[in-house]
Amino acid sequence: MPDSGYPWPIETTRLDNGLRVVVSEDRTAPAVAVNLWYDVGSRHEPDGQTGFAHLFEHLMFEGSANVAKTEHMKLIQGSGGSLNATTNPDRTNYFETTPAEHLELALWLEADRMGGLVPALTQETLDNQREVVKNERRQRYENVPYGDAWLRLLPLLYPPRHPYHHATIGSMADLNAADLGTFQDFHRTYYAPNNAVLTVVGDASPAEVFALADKYFGAIPAREDIPTAPDGRNVPATGQPVTERVTGDVPAPRVYVAHRTYPFGSTGYDVLTVLATVLGSGRGSRLYQRLADGERLAQPDLVGAYGVDLAHAPAPLIVTATARPGVSAERLAAGLSEVVDELVTVPVTATELDRAKALLSTAWWRQMSTVDGRADTLGRYATQFGDPARAGGRLPAWLAVTSEQIAEAAAEVLGACDRVTLTYLPEETP
Amino acid sequence: MTLITDRPGAGTARPYRFPQVVRRTVAGGQVVAAHLPGQNLAVALLLLDAGASCEPVGKEGLGGVLAKALEEGTAHRDATAYALAVEGLGTELVTGLDWDSFQVSVQVPVDRLSAAVELLAEAVRTPKLDPEDVRRVRDDEATALRMDWANPGPRADAALRADLFGADNRWGRPMYGDPDSVTGLDVEDVTVFHSQWFIRPGTLIVAGDLERIDLDALGAAAFAGAGGGPVDRGGPIEVPLHNGRRIILVDRPGSVQSTLRLGHPSPHRAHPDHVPMTLAGTVLGGAFTSRLNHLIREVRGYTYGIRGDFASSRRFGRFAVSSGVQTAVTAPALVEAVGEITRTQVGGVTEDELAVARSWRAGQLSVELQSPRSIASALTTLVVHDLPDDYHARLRESLLAADVAQVSEAAATHLHPEALTLVVEGDAAVIRDELTAAGLAEVIDAG
Repeated sequence: MPDSGYPWPIETTRLDNGLRVVVSEDRTAPAVAVNLWYDVGSRHEPDGQTGFAHLFEHLMFEGSANVAKTEHMKLIQGSGGSLNATTNPDRTNYFETTPAEHLELALWLEADRMGGLVPALTQETLDNQREVVKNERRQRYENVPYGDAWLRLLPLLYPPRHPYHHATIGSMADLNAADLGTFQDFHRTYYAPNNAVLTVVGDASPAEVFALADKYFGAIPAREDIPTAPDGRNVPATGQPVTERVTGDVPAPRVYVAHRTYPFGSTGYDVLTVLATVLGSGRGSRLYQRLADGERLAQPDLVGAYGVDLAHAPAPLIVTATARPGVSAERLAAGLSEVVDELVTVPVTATELDRAKALLSTAWWRQMSTVDGRADTLGRYATQFGDPARAGGRLPAWLAVTSEQIAEAAAEVLGACDRVTLTYLPEETP
Repeated sequence: MTLITDRPGAGTARPYRFPQVVRRTVAGGQVVAAHLPGQNLAVALLLLDAGASCEPVGKEGLGGVLAKALEEGTAHRDATAYALAVEGLGTELVTGLDWDSFQVSVQVPVDRLSAAVELLAEAVRTPKLDPEDVRRVRDDEATALRMDWANPGPRADAALRADLFGADNRWGRPMYGDPDSVTGLDVEDVTVFHSQWFIRPGTLIVAGDLERIDLDALGAAAFAGAGGGPVDRGGPIEVPLHNGRRIILVDRPGSVQSTLRLGHPSPHRAHPDHVPMTLAGTVLGGAFTSRLNHLIREVRGYTYGIRGDFASSRRFGRFAVSSGVQTAVTAPALVEAVGEITRTQVGGVTEDELAVARSWRAGQLSVELQSPRSIASALTTLVVHDLPDDYHARLRESLLAADVAQVSEAAATHLHPEALTLVVEGDAAVIRDELTAAGLAEVIDAG
C-alpha cells in the first residue's frame, strides 16, 4: 500500500504578482509539461453569457501582443510539442508538452497571452472562433444520439442561478450575442497572474523554472478584486424526484439516473468515487452483473457510473444504461433504480471493495505515468485546495474507504426522493 | 509593455533514446520488451496474426465477437469469476483489432503483471465458448454496432472503403464489420476462427521496469499450450485508382452537419516513400496549422476540425480527409478541401510548413512515447512491420532529414485529387442540388 500517490518531488513558489509556480522534476524522459490552471470556468458566467469562458479559451490561441494569429499552435507543434486547452464549470486549463529544450518558448507563449491578449483580439477572430465553437456544439452535442444528455441533466440537478445550472458549451443564442468588449473585459477580469497556477513537470529543475517564470511572467500586474462565482455549495434538497423524457432520433431507450453528491476533494466524494467504481466500472460491477449479465436488460458495453470531479458544489454522480432490444425504458429505469437503491441495503463485500480499489489504483498510476498527467493533477490541487502536495493523498484516501461509508453515503445522497431520471425514447416508426 | 517581446530560442536538445529493447524466444513464442526503469505501471500485450484480414468475406466482425466471447468464461472459471479475478488485479482485458493483427492486453502495477498475464492467456488460449454465450455475445455485438452506426461517420466510412477497395474484398468492407454481417455469424464461425488463429503463439509485448519483471515466466504463461507454424501474411495488394472523381451521398435526414470523408488508395506501409508521404500528409492535414485546418476552420469557420493523412497497413493504404461541416456550407467546404489537396499535389510544400511538420513528427517521438501503453504500441509497430530495435531513432533522423524536394515529390506522386471519392453523409434533401451545382463530380446515392 503506497504512503503517497505522488512519489516525486514538488517545489512551489509565488511570484510578487501572485502567480503560483509548481515544479516537479523528473529526468526520465527529455520532455517537459507546462500547464496553466486559471481559476475561471463556466460557473462564473452570468445569465445571457453562457459559453463565454469556453469561447474565450479558443481566443487564447488566436494571437497576443507578440504572437501572430495561429502562431501559438505553429510554434509548439513546430517544436515537436503537443498542446490543447479545456474548459469546464470550475476552471480553464492550457497545456503543452514539448521536448525539454523548448521549455522557455512555452513559458514565453503562455506569458504573452496572459499579459497581452487584449490588444490582439479582433472582431474577425471572434467571429471566426464563434463559428468554430458553434460547429463544436453541433458535432459533439446536437448531431449525435443522446449527445445533449449532459446539457439536459445539469438544469435538472441544479436550480436556476446555480453556477452549475448551465453547461459549459453554452447556448447558440448567447454565443451569437457575444460581443468583443465582453471578451476584452473577461480577459482583464480573470486572466491575471494571481488567478492562475503555472505547473512544470519533467526534465527541468525548480531553480531554472522559477527563474524563467519570473523573467516572463514577473512583470504582468496582479489584479485586485477578482470577482468570485456565485456560491453553489448549498443546494437544498427538494424532496421531489425529477424526471424528463425525451423522444428523438435515438437507436434504443436509454436511462440516466443522476444525483448531487459531495464536492470533489471532500471525504464524501472519495467515498462516492469508490462507490461509483463498485457500481459501474467493469464487468465485475453491480450494474454489469445485475443488468447486463444477470437480468439482461442492458447492453453490456453501455452500462456505467461515474462522478464528475467538480469542486465548488455537490458534484454529480451519473449512472446510465441502454436497453437491450425488446426491453422497455420503464423496465430498464426500474432495474437501474433498484441497483442504486441496493447500495444502502446490500452491503458492499470485501471482494467488491478490493476490485474497485484495484481499478482505481491502476487509473491513478496511469494518470501519473506521463508528465502532462502529473502537471494537470498538481495544477488542480494547487488551484482548488491551495497545495499541490495534497494530490498525494487522493489514492490513499480512496484505499481507506470502507463498506460502511459507502452505505452511509448512499443513504445520505442517493435517495429516490432526490433523484433525477432522464429517459431517451426512440421515435415511433410509422 | 510588461512582456518580453523577443521569442526565446531553443536550449540544448537532450539526446533522444527509445527505451532499451529486449527480444527473446520463450516456449515457442517471441517476447519483445522495453525497459522503463522506475515505472510503477506495466503493460503486457499479446499480439496475434489474426487481424481483420483473416476474416472471410461475409464474416466481418468475427474477431470482434470472439474478443468479447473470450471473457465469457474459461476452462477454469465462469464469466463472473473471471471478471472478478482480472479486475481484482486492477486491470481489464483490452482487446484491439486492426487489419494486420489482433491484440489483447493488460495494464497493472508491475507487481501484479505475472498474475494478469496468466489470466490473459487463460482467456485467449482456453475460452469456454459455450454456444449459448457465443450467440448472446454475437447479438450484443450486433446491437452495439447498430448503436454505433446511428452516429454520423460509420456509414460514410463504409461507403468510402467500399468504393476505394471494392466490397467484394475483405479490405473493401468495414474493419469491424457491420450490424448485418455480425448478425449473420454462427457459433461455428467463432470457434473455428479461434482454433485457426488464437492457438498460435504470437508475440508477447512487455513495457515496464524489467528489473521487476520475469520475462521468461511471462512468456511461458503466454505461450503455454500454443502451437502452429508461421502465418502467410500475403504481399502488398495493387489497388487501382478511379478514372475520375465521384460524390457519394449518404442520406442523414435532419442532420445539422455534413460528415465528409474524402479519399483514394495509397501505398502500403513498407513503401520507401513512407516518411515523405507522412510529412506531406502532415502539411496538408495533420498539424493544427495544416492547410486544410487553417483554411476550413481558422479562416472560414466551417468546422470544429478537419484532418487528412496517409494511413497504411502491411498490404494496402489510403489517403483520407475527414471532417464535419455545418450543413449550409457543405458544397463550399468540399470545393475548398479539394482545392487544397490539388494545390498540394501540384505545388508541393514550402520549407516553412515542412519545418513545422518534421519537427512535430520527430518531437512527438519524445513527447508521446512516455507511458507503458504508448511504448507497448511502439513495440507492436516493430513486430507487425518487421522493423529493427533502433527503428524509432532512425525514423527520427529520417523525419528531420526530409527536404522540400522529397516531400513535394511524394505529394505529387501520391496525392490524386482527380481520383478522389467524396463521401458526404448529410441531409440529402437540403444539400443534393448544391453538391451537383458545385461541379466537382457526379453525385451518386449510396446503395
